[in-house]
Amino acid sequence: MLLFLIRRLLLIIPVLFGLLLLTFFMLRLGGNDPAAIMAGDNATPEMIARIREELGLNQPLVVQFWDYFLSVLRGDFGVSLFSQRPVSEDILDKLPATLELTLVALVIATVLGILLGTLAGVWRNSIFDHTVRIVSVAGLATASFWFAIMLQLVFAMGFEILPLRGRLPTGMAPPPDITGMYIFDSLVTGHFATMWQAVLHIIMPAVTISLGGVATVARFTRSAVVASLQSEYANYEQAVGYPRRRVVFPYVLRNSLVTPVTQVGLLFGGFISNAVAVEAVFDWPGLGSYLVQAIFTSDYQVVLAVTLVIGAIYGVVNILVDMTQGLLDPRVAEKM
Amino acid sequence: MTFRTLLLAATTALATATISVSAQAQTEIVWGEGTPKGLDPHVVYDVPMQLYMLNAYDSLYRYIGNPPELSNWLAASHTVSEDGLTWEFTLKPGITFTDGSPMTSEDVVYSFQRLLEIGKGPSGAFKPVLKPENVSAVDELTTRFVLDKPYAPFLSTMPLVAILNKDVVQAHETDGDMGAAWLSTHQAGSGSYILDEATYKPLENADFNRNVDHFYGWDDNANPVDVVHVPTFTETSTRVLALLRGDTDATDGYLPTDQVERIKAADGVRVQSDESMRIMLIRMNNQKPPFDNVNFRRCVSYAFNYDGFNEVVLGGLVKRNVGPLPSNLWGVDESVEGYSYDLDKAQEFCDLAREEGADIDRKIEIKILSGLDQTTQAAQVMQQGLDELGLNVEVVGDTWANLATSTGTVESTPDMWVHWVSTYFVDPENWIGQMYSSQFNGTWKASSWYVNPHVDDLLQQARDVTDQAEREVLYKEAYRTIVDEAADVWIYNTVALRGLSDRLDGFKFSPVGSGADFRWLSVKE
Repeated sequence: MLLFLIRRLLLIIPVLFGLLLLTFFMLRLGGNDPAAIMAGDNATPEMIARIREELGLNQPLVVQFWDYFLSVLRGDFGVSLFSQRPVSEDILDKLPATLELTLVALVIATVLGILLGTLAGVWRNSIFDHTVRIVSVAGLATASFWFAIMLQLVFAMGFEILPLRGRLPTGMAPPPDITGMYIFDSLVTGHFATMWQAVLHIIMPAVTISLGGVATVARFTRSAVVASLQSEYANYEQAVGYPRRRVVFPYVLRNSLVTPVTQVGLLFGGFISNAVAVEAVFDWPGLGSYLVQAIFTSDYQVVLAVTLVIGAIYGVVNILVDMTQGLLDPRVAEKM
Repeated sequence: MTFRTLLLAATTALATATISVSAQAQTEIVWGEGTPKGLDPHVVYDVPMQLYMLNAYDSLYRYIGNPPELSNWLAASHTVSEDGLTWEFTLKPGITFTDGSPMTSEDVVYSFQRLLEIGKGPSGAFKPVLKPENVSAVDELTTRFVLDKPYAPFLSTMPLVAILNKDVVQAHETDGDMGAAWLSTHQAGSGSYILDEATYKPLENADFNRNVDHFYGWDDNANPVDVVHVPTFTETSTRVLALLRGDTDATDGYLPTDQVERIKAADGVRVQSDESMRIMLIRMNNQKPPFDNVNFRRCVSYAFNYDGFNEVVLGGLVKRNVGPLPSNLWGVDESVEGYSYDLDKAQEFCDLAREEGADIDRKIEIKILSGLDQTTQAAQVMQQGLDELGLNVEVVGDTWANLATSTGTVESTPDMWVHWVSTYFVDPENWIGQMYSSQFNGTWKASSWYVNPHVDDLLQQARDVTDQAEREVLYKEAYRTIVDEAADVWIYNTVALRGLSDRLDGFKFSPVGSGADFRWLSVKE
């Protein structure tokens, strides 16, 4: 398994290089050039030309890419053209917010999805099964920004039981910085009032993001459970008089989880891209908002770095998913 | 924990949160407009920066009120030589920076030199006429500027330049960056409010504490706001909901029509409306056929349903503006009626253009600014009008950054695009001067690529002479000519619409910064 891990980690490197190459050329060939807006709203043509020269934007693209690639190898993502802050610093600032949000969303999607899917599979063709099917198809079809605004209208404006936006109430100091994930940090440092607020603030954005995920996981779990229930070992267990509860848990469930777990890995990537829209509605100060701002201002150093980070996370999560599969299914582990 | 106890706990926690907010209510407010991406006022210069500059920094002169009056701020007085080249500004005595050190003419010299050497942000207004070495200190309070050529708008551009604390900025220089990296997250000025650096997170939040020692004093505001929280809102709908809930005391000044109705219908909040100086227009690339034909441009100008857009789509919350200057600014020739929606006339001019050989049947692209719905709506109204004439029009979305860049050459500049020109300094130069002088061609402001040597002369003369009455005559003639030649489709002048909580008093609007100057605000007892 260790060899597998090392091999897979090494494989990420060419993938990331390809990602960087593609993103760089797509961005730059699309005429992306920040000089005009950097020069400000009262700029003269000469100022724009000077800035272009300073940034090296007038050099051949290949040279620009090579320079950029070398600096990335040194761990230098450059400086944001507008905020003048090192991009890596900005990312370290924003990444924990997005990770916290996606992790909570992932937990919701997995727990709820597996629960609903299993029950739907066990009570196949019951009213419950049909309801789950309808709700999950609707969940997949719902636009997340619309759902986000609806949640705001109902729970923040209507019932007034959840906060509207942000990670904490305006004016509340964040907990001491350990991971940058507020729920965890405030729990560890004993700031329970802050933790409670952090939990309340994350509910709506996390539920919004998890919506499509719950649906996917539920659908896959259900079909796997249905298939496993019809398999010979399940029939045998039932024939020898195992209670149905026992057949389902752990035997059928364990055998059915391989597919949904693969899905969870894919979902994680989807969640991060979903976060772009959802973070905007809830003013969640994560990578999504940061990326959108960067795209609107042609801050291409930021766009590249964020893409790379998301790519790396995606790669690591996929390795984790493969390893989880190994834990669930010894046959997979043998091949690792 | 059952659902009920969870709900109970949630409500209690929320109630305590609300109580803690209202207990601080006397001197704290939340301003829902956001801070600029970087905080160096010599590097970034856009609309969000105006909010930050007004509060964290001071300039020699400042625009106050509406119509904006150029008022002495850091400067007690100024003199200008007969030939309009030498300007001297004298600081008010006893001004201190927020770190307590005194402000001298050395700081003024440093600030202008730094701005010009960095060559970004607002430096464009000075570059053509001022060299860094021609700014010098005469004595402790007086600064001398010697311009390369006369530049009448010079005084009105003074509010663009924040005066920095030279010693503090120089102490934080790294690799010859003139302190830009440090200043992007720190403040080194004398403003009415002091950035609480511990709370500053880019694109997330910034808190400002009142500078009780500010040179202007606080005598005219009995109950000023002590702490202003400025969180960043991304979506308009969230911002408005936050206002309705009491999570923020103000929105930004760009409320869309539907949200205006929503706020008007709610209790405890109001809509503040002020005629600004921000004109919306559809640009035409005057050098790209068929737009190089003046009759075709007139045809397009008659094909836009101005009333339909201003009165119906925007609910009458804007003012019709017929030419390249905001109608509430001097220099406008009021005898000019401009264009109206008249498809018959449009057809006549299009026929004329066709006779003159213009290829008016090719596909025309109108670029809009993604995320700004009004630009889409305006483009669609334009498209509809031209469609009636049988012209082939396509609406294409793009980002501000890409569009601003594309205006660098005639070929890459779109056929048409929709945008606004805001107030950066209050002088016709900010609009007609920088939009239609051919020397600015290649910048987004001059993206119509309009070239008329006579207009160039007029606009240059208007820079050379300092007498406003004389300048006004020149601007009026340029204005008439440009409207007659239908350089662009001018649509409206903005009425700034800002949602405010009823507990806020003292809001003072100015087209620069749209009233985000916290020092005039107070909270009702």
